[in-house]
Amino acid sequence: MKTSQILSLAVGALLIANTVSASSHREAPLISSDPLADNTDLYAFRCPDDPNSIILIANYVPMQLAQGGPNYYSFGEDIRYEIHIDNDVSTAGDDIIYRITFHKENQDPSTFFNIRLGLQNGKTTYTLERSMDGGSSFETIKLNGVVPPTNIGARSINSAVGLNTTYTDLSAASVHSTSTGETVFCGPVDDPFYVDLAGVFDLGDLPRQNGGSKDGLACMNVSAIVLKIPISTLQKDGHDVGMAANILDPDFVIGIWASASRQKVRTLNTDGTTGYTGEWVQVSRLGMPLTNEVVNPIGSKDRWNSMTPYEDLASIGTFGNYYYNPELALYMDDDQFGGAVPAFGPLRIQRNSLQAFDFGNGHDGLYGLKGTAAVAGTALDDAIFGTLLLPAAASPRSVDLWPIFNTGVPNMRPYQLATGKNGDPLAAGKPFVNNFLPNGGDMLRLNMAVPVTQRDDPAFSSDGLFAAAVSGLTDPAYNTNAGLQFIPNMDGFPNGRRLEDDVTRIELQAVGGAALAAIGLWYDDYTAGDANPVTPDLLSVLTYSTGVDTNDVPFRTVFPYLAYPHRGTGSCGGLAVDYTQPAVLDPSDGHVGISELMHGAGSGITAFPNPITDRTTLRLNMPEAGHLRIEVHALDGKVVAVPFNGTRAAGTQEFTWNAGELSKGIYLVKATGADGKLIGAMKLEKN
Amino acid sequence: MNYRTLLVGACFVAGAFSGPQAWASSHREAPLIANDPLADNTDLYCFRSPDDPNTITIIANYIPAQLAYGGPNYASFGEGIRYEIHIDNNTNTPGDDITYRFTFNKTNQDPTTFFNIRLGQQNLLTSYTMEKSTDGGQTWATILTNGIVPPPNIGPRSIEDGTVGLGTNYDALITSAILTASTGETVYCGPADDPFFVDLGGIFDLGDAPRQNSQTRDGIARTNIHSICIKIPISMLQKNGQSVSMAANILDPDYVIGVWASSSRKAVRTLNASDGTYTDSGDWIQVSRLGMPLTNEAVNPVGYKDKWNSMTPYQDLSALDVAGNYFYNPELALYMDDDQFGGAVPAFAALRVQRSSLQGFDFGNGHDGLYGLKGSPALNGTALADAAFGNLLLPAAGSPRSVDLWPIFNTGVPNARPYQLATGKNGDPLAAGKPFINNFLPNGGDMLRLNMAVPVTQRDDPAFSSEGLLAAAVAGLTDPAYNTDASLQFIPNMDGFPNGRRLEDDVTRIELQAVGGVVLAAIGLWYDDYNAGNPSQSPVTNQLLNVLNYSTGVEANDTTFKTTFPYVATPWRGTSI
Repeated sequence: MKTSQILSLAVGALLIANTVSASSHREAPLISSDPLADNTDLYAFRCPDDPNSIILIANYVPMQLAQGGPNYYSFGEDIRYEIHIDNDVSTAGDDIIYRITFHKENQDPSTFFNIRLGLQNGKTTYTLERSMDGGSSFETIKLNGVVPPTNIGARSINSAVGLNTTYTDLSAASVHSTSTGETVFCGPVDDPFYVDLAGVFDLGDLPRQNGGSKDGLACMNVSAIVLKIPISTLQKDGHDVGMAANILDPDFVIGIWASASRQKVRTLNTDGTTGYTGEWVQVSRLGMPLTNEVVNPIGSKDRWNSMTPYEDLASIGTFGNYYYNPELALYMDDDQFGGAVPAFGPLRIQRNSLQAFDFGNGHDGLYGLKGTAAVAGTALDDAIFGTLLLPAAASPRSVDLWPIFNTGVPNMRPYQLATGKNGDPLAAGKPFVNNFLPNGGDMLRLNMAVPVTQRDDPAFSSDGLFAAAVSGLTDPAYNTNAGLQFIPNMDGFPNGRRLEDDVTRIELQAVGGAALAAIGLWYDDYTAGDANPVTPDLLSVLTYSTGVDTNDVPFRTVFPYLAYPHRGTGSCGGLAVDYTQPAVLDPSDGHVGISELMHGAGSGITAFPNPITDRTTLRLNMPEAGHLRIEVHALDGKVVAVPFNGTRAAGTQEFTWNAGELSKGIYLVKATGADGKLIGAMKLEKN
Repeated sequence: MNYRTLLVGACFVAGAFSGPQAWASSHREAPLIANDPLADNTDLYCFRSPDDPNTITIIANYIPAQLAYGGPNYASFGEGIRYEIHIDNNTNTPGDDITYRFTFNKTNQDPTTFFNIRLGQQNLLTSYTMEKSTDGGQTWATILTNGIVPPPNIGPRSIEDGTVGLGTNYDALITSAILTASTGETVYCGPADDPFFVDLGGIFDLGDAPRQNSQTRDGIARTNIHSICIKIPISMLQKNGQSVSMAANILDPDYVIGVWASSSRKAVRTLNASDGTYTDSGDWIQVSRLGMPLTNEAVNPVGYKDKWNSMTPYQDLSALDVAGNYFYNPELALYMDDDQFGGAVPAFAALRVQRSSLQGFDFGNGHDGLYGLKGSPALNGTALADAAFGNLLLPAAGSPRSVDLWPIFNTGVPNARPYQLATGKNGDPLAAGKPFINNFLPNGGDMLRLNMAVPVTQRDDPAFSSEGLLAAAVAGLTDPAYNTDASLQFIPNMDGFPNGRRLEDDVTRIELQAVGGVVLAAIGLWYDDYNAGNPSQSPVTNQLLNVLNYSTGVEANDTTFKTTFPYVATPWRGTSI
């Protein structure tokens, strides 16, 4: 192999998507005002500890503050939360749908606390239904699923005045099995997404140019729906993964998207209640991360949320150009606004790749090859996929960003690594992805036949498929021929999405042209025919980072994998304030305080001698027989002696008391009867 | 005067008629409104402007727990919502006397970008129309159009950078958003630091405030809010158009106003399946309201909160059979009574309700408080006499807090016996004492009531206290400058909560102390460890000291307020926290 194909060092990225930022948290104007129905993230990956199963995670209700009482966050009633699966291009629409609906109950409506004395308000349960016929019919597969309570704090969860349990136990008790073999968890978790929200939305200051990068979703919780589903349930013919022809078997591709729907008409009643009627209308959806966050401009976001992926292709006239000429690419091009976003300085899209192809905004990319012999037999051949990938002039990113989001990427020319291509990007190369499922638009697509990269494998990388591409181009274990091999992280985003995958970084690199480079459309500073395509421009892209590369807490290694929700009373629950509580004083002893003793000295009790040197006789009159306690107080109120504590008869009583150990000064003597009433007090002076 | 009533020395008696219950004022306080953040009314403030004492400043806050970095759709006021501030100034006219209504409109100046601000253009640019009604909502006059709401304080590239952003600075944006209505009010609508402060995490973990075993935290620190701030001449608010100089005295009952805020949406929302839009139609329905802080947070139980949000204060009195008991026997008091759940909430150990005040009165849950005096000649001439206010203050047996917590929230407190400080009472709590409050306006229920004639305590005055009227009560009982006779004097902080509410007032602490009985103590109904039969005992007992020294641990906002309108602090910057 020529060094130009083997590559001495790296080379970026696969075919990934465009754009940046907070996946889909409050991403469109309308849904940002309906947090309960706001779908924030979607994940799909093979279980590391049970590789015959797939994990699907759909998150809702963004930006939950751990301390957000008294009405802590949870799933909403009157909303259909759904996870949709497409597994067959020959059937229109969804093949499998999971629908979850929630119900809330107040176990103790007499309190404003969420949890008290073993009872919980807003206690949430759910029904899980499944359709195997595109939504025509649904079967209930789990009733009365339990959503764990909010992780409020030690008193509410652990103590006897609360639930008297542990959060770990509560979470474990909410892992349920369905009647059809799925495992399910619905409940609060740490938000697994991570991104420097503040930086990126301050006009793309990612990584921050003046320092201070910060994970804007750290310490936040989210409400997750987690399903573990046997691969044989998801595969279109009921095959288990052992029956796959190879690790990129096209029959094992699934497309996943999630949604939330509400009934069409909401009526506010004058008594403070709300009613819902009418057809169900989709108000939020999510497939690929960040599509509606930063691919779609603000004017199209609300509409996009109302559509299904199956409507995307029909709307290509509106939405296609958001991928063909993405806004973000304007900030990675010095002929556009590149100079205005210094943080994206390392990312410069190919304007003159192989001295032939211009992928800049409004330029033609590979369109000039359309209909030529060079693209015959490739995915770009109109005879194969029609005009989808080369729809028109001036649509340069129709060959990379658009299919990654809208069809998945087939294992065919030119979508193979440059390894083995001998300098021709359109030639056959080393396979690394096949998640092609062109039935519908924006979905998260996963080839279930790709093996798992264990999370503790040294090769595991949050760069996802990007890391696999780099290995396939540069690692001698993989780059010596174009044969199909498992390369670690071929199971990473955008072949599905693992919790760890740094999708913000990967997508920004992809907008910067890294996927084009991976298949041999190198950066401008590479001269076609030169030995080494690992040029400074490519290295800049490969080393680009947003400054926030990982989640703020580790994930769990077992279902549901997500980290426990942050505790309301913990370090995420607000700004630390220094405070030391003063000691709580015992009640004043009934009927006398120090100042009163001073004031009333001489009443009811006498001492002789007084002043004293060491010994005196105290005398008082008991109004009736009963308990008597005599105390000697220092002036600070402290009891320094108890000359008597017992029972005495009515009438005059005398007590001899040795005060020899007390230091010189003024003391107060107080006598208290059985009912707590003062019998007498006096001032005593010791010489 | 004997020393029992003048009380020398020591920190002393507490008070103020503040309300029950604690915490996060009203942030996401009811199940339904928690899911409608744009319409969620979180706090209401009302105070004489320190730098312009002929005016009153009213601040109504909405949209809780905004993260400063919450892009790309940063929070702002919502369209399709009526945000209103209501003012009652006259018991002779039913309902509101003055209403201000704000409606907002959003425009995308550059729909081609997902950024909020780019190249001098702003998306979701928000402007508003301000209307005013002076006839109870029958007719409206538009007094400001195209009012500008400042953009979110995103960061230096969006705000300061002249090439890619707006090329300005945030203070200038705020200044240019301070506008004058055609009728003379000054107004600001826009983002601000949330002035509220509270240990949310602790207090809602079954009342763990102050924290017993973990770090105290301000759960609202570093979050923003959207504020509607109006500065209004007192002569415009006073029922007869009089300026403050015409007040008969500093507690002139003709200068009391009641203020409440609300938000309303149209009854029917129809989602349009075809394009992701929706249409609102029908009558306007109130979905959130706020008068006194924390009423719907921690007085009303969860089953009543949504309904309460739908009602006006004028409907509160007719709902007494349902809601009255939430004040008469408040839940929080259960945690301050060893015969109830006192032992279960160690953080409230310093707070113990009077169960045997003056060895005669039991204010514990379900007990009679002062009800045993009903009909007695001892009540003649007091506010508790049926001849004075009917059954309102002593409605029934088993309603002990009808005499303190209920009127503080629902009618205001008159300057009448027994609602005067113990100073001058010579041991009889029902006797005439030293006046310290008069915000009585019994026209409607839950409102924030302010006597506008009470002078301003300047914020840099050494006597200024976040304990509000409670601090004034302590001074009136213990400070020789005020406690030598029962005459009406201005005592610093008489302009504090619950006589209106200043931004600085620590309402959580004050209200918890009030639930703990400190208001009763202030008027001479001392704690159980004071023996009425012992003429020589100071009423400053350990139990009273415990209450006065009680604190939630979070006593001040996380940043400094401005000294000029709109007083709320500049919103936190997304890139700076």
